[in-house]
Amino acid sequence: MSNLYDLLASEVVDGIKEGLFTTEEYVCSVIKRIEDVESKLHSFISLDSEGAVSSAKLIDRKLREKEKIGPLCGIIVGIKDNISTKNIKTTCASKMLEDYIPPYDATVVRHMKENGAIIMGKLNLDEFGMGSTTEYSRYGPTHNPWNLDYVPGGSSGGCGAAVASGECTVSLGSDTGGSIRCPASFCSVVGLKPTYGKVSRYGLISYANSLEQIGPICRSVKDIVMIMNVISGKDMNDNTTIPSSSITINGKTKKLNVAILKELIDSCDGSVKKTIYSTAEKFKEIGCEYSEISIKNLNYALPSYYTLASAEASSNLSRYDNIRYGFDLPIDDYKWEQYFSTVRKNFGEEVKRRILIGSYVLSSGYYSKYYLKARRLRSLLRLELLTLFKQYDLFIGPTMPILPFKFGEKIDDPIKMYLVDINTVIANLASIPAVSLPVGFSNGLPIGLQMMAAPFEEQKLIDASYALENTINIRRRPNLT
Amino acid sequence: MISKVDLAHLAQISKIDLSEEEIEKFPMQLERTIEYIDVLEELSSDDSIDLDLQEIKFDQLRDDLIKNADGERISKNLTEDGYLKGPKMK
Repeated sequence: MSNLYDLLASEVVDGIKEGLFTTEEYVCSVIKRIEDVESKLHSFISLDSEGAVSSAKLIDRKLREKEKIGPLCGIIVGIKDNISTKNIKTTCASKMLEDYIPPYDATVVRHMKENGAIIMGKLNLDEFGMGSTTEYSRYGPTHNPWNLDYVPGGSSGGCGAAVASGECTVSLGSDTGGSIRCPASFCSVVGLKPTYGKVSRYGLISYANSLEQIGPICRSVKDIVMIMNVISGKDMNDNTTIPSSSITINGKTKKLNVAILKELIDSCDGSVKKTIYSTAEKFKEIGCEYSEISIKNLNYALPSYYTLASAEASSNLSRYDNIRYGFDLPIDDYKWEQYFSTVRKNFGEEVKRRILIGSYVLSSGYYSKYYLKARRLRSLLRLELLTLFKQYDLFIGPTMPILPFKFGEKIDDPIKMYLVDINTVIANLASIPAVSLPVGFSNGLPIGLQMMAAPFEEQKLIDASYALENTINIRRRPNLT
Repeated sequence: MISKVDLAHLAQISKIDLSEEEIEKFPMQLERTIEYIDVLEELSSDDSIDLDLQEIKFDQLRDDLIKNADGERISKNLTEDGYLKGPKMK
């Protein structure tokens, strides 16, 4: 048998239930893997190996006593460190929350645990989810398992690297402007950003709450479905959620009408373009038609996104005042204003830049010039896409316009960094679901295909992803020895 | 152009102290970001567009529940009388 840490979630559940190995044996195999590769990757901010072993022993005992265990029986999950975990430190990769231990579990974490999953630890990210490389983490960056000199993508870079390298079997990330799909693409794993409202955000530490969703990052489409069916649905603690139907793997793709977005393919790197076009041809093999279309409002998407995300960030992050959360500074000898600004200098540079831009676009005089225009664009874009979805089932294009790049390449130029999100922010602005699927390599670096569907049409994304995954069949494990 | 005076104002309303290095570096970086989003000016200011195009209706609020909070940070900052202590206003 192959290494247990190498197995997909569905294989782990089958193996444990059929008695091929125990939950403890599998968990120990993953812990050994972490010991072997973590010093190279730095995927984790905190690890709970002991907790994972005791949970595994408990599951094994329950199985011996014929007690019922949920569908995620024993699966090891890593959680992005901006999702609250009861009694496990949740830092958002920020100095501001370096000692914060949440008193409750996020709804998604509670669902994962109740269905038998085991939390292995908390995964690295750009501070508060603001970034595309993990270079903005206050605990140092995560490395790309396919080439350690390259960024893993972000902000859920720890999730991408850990899943790709076998440090955990599945992970939960969050996606505000591409933070699940970017690392999924750069690390050659599957990442799904669900429709806004499909998954509860209760316990997700807010950055831009009208844009963000929690979603799974896994090594196979089947695993994505397993996780989605556990975390989706109405939650009384998140009033933006609605009840949703479950997703299935049915193996048969109905004929889908697929459109390549011209703006996205025209502006990407040559090697990425080549791979995306050859993948588009594969759609014909699975019985789908494809054509190329243009979207009028796309040029304004990224400026609108950064306007709205920064505005929401400046508002959401105002809660870090050191009284309810924040850096531990005694209040004596400080005046009101000075106290807060002294504490808040502990935010990292990128977080400060976004708060400042947010304050700028919300100031009187600029509010209608930037913020309201961005809101209007968001509505226009959504309307345009919804109209096109009457004709097409899926929009496709490269997840990222470029291949993974080296550390330090874009860190000193915020605009260069923002531009890598140009293809992914569309789905967040329009509140629609989108997936990134690994479809190839160039110079040993992964390339991802992004597919977007109409609101709550995750099933179409899964049907197409599953069929393509079986047709393309690419190498799954980076060489880390 | 974002001047150092503008930056100081933004920092003040955002309640953030900036380091010397940030005071030097940020004006140019923020200026470039604002230049980038300036393209939004080309869009019309059509007031007839519905700004809330979400399909989800947010009108089903749950009832308020009174529960005991076990947030240690909050309780640590409470005075003996049960007040939350803050810095001096003046």
